[in-house]
Amino acid sequence: MMELLILGMTLIVFFSRYLFLEPRLPIQPGPRLLHFLSFSIPAVLAAVIAPMIFVQDQALMLDPMNPYLLGAIVAAVCMKQTGKTLLTVTLSLSAFMVYRFLLASG
Amino acid sequence: MTETVSPLQQILAGTRLILPLTIAVVPWGILVGAYGMESGLSALHTQLLSLSVFAGASQLVAIGMLESGASMVSILLTTLLITSRHFLYGLALRQDIQGLPVYWRAALGFLLTDELFVFRRTQQQRFCRWFLIGAGFSFYLGWNLATLAGILAGQYLPDLTALGLDFAVVAIFIALLVPILDNRSAWVCVLASAFMAVLTHLFQLPGGLLLSMLTGMGCGYLYSEYQRGKNG
Repeated sequence: MMELLILGMTLIVFFSRYLFLEPRLPIQPGPRLLHFLSFSIPAVLAAVIAPMIFVQDQALMLDPMNPYLLGAIVAAVCMKQTGKTLLTVTLSLSAFMVYRFLLASG
Repeated sequence: MTETVSPLQQILAGTRLILPLTIAVVPWGILVGAYGMESGLSALHTQLLSLSVFAGASQLVAIGMLESGASMVSILLTTLLITSRHFLYGLALRQDIQGLPVYWRAALGFLLTDELFVFRRTQQQRFCRWFLIGAGFSFYLGWNLATLAGILAGQYLPDLTALGLDFAVVAIFIALLVPILDNRSAWVCVLASAFMAVLTHLFQLPGGLLLSMLTGMGCGYLYSEYQRGKNG
């Protein structure tokens, strides 16, 4: 059963990644559709992380004491200032974990 | 890159340049491995998800849905919703890849993650299949080794998922997001998408990710059209 699920997921994910690499596909999307689709990158990045930052246990979390919010701010500032991906991830993940540890112990 | 550079050198160059993303994704891979074990999947199935599906968000959501007893059909539908963004990536890389032999197309298609796509789009150099396969495959190796580490660690440290490794996703995605937030339409898109995602999450609506994406894309698109109309 589990193997079947993994196979199904594999086929669906591969299909979505491969479809437009297939030269025999006759569909050529127009400029309007391409322009619309160009927003999919910021849209998906925001849609994935926003609930992680602002929702905890099905409740809205706008408190500045929220470690996810603090870590996100650290990441945004660091990336804006340095442009370095790995430094941004390391620094904000460390800040997040240390801050959470302090909250739990203090 | 000149033509005197060998395929091996291209592969190594791709591996080296994507390394920051490969390392950054390690905590997330560990989380997927540990979460799979914690939710009662076997080590083999947890690793198989990374080896064969190779899509972090889909893997995490599928494990979560399995844990809450969701049906196979609903998990597959959710996978389709989450993965539907990849259609765009194939479309954007179509010019470069459609002329390659089928095994090259299949291999690059299989490796076409969010990270590899953003990586390719931010590289200035001319398209090179060896360079991209080197980047994609090393990222794949990193993801699978991280999953394995999570599986092993999850057996001894049952609280690993409580450590906050999921924050690595927030950090990577913000690092990818900041450079593209260079115009107002992108901001409109991000704010609308984020607002809708929080809303659908609070009300636990199914298909919230796709609904949020479409809302964000629609708002960003309409705003850019409105601006063009105002300026033109």
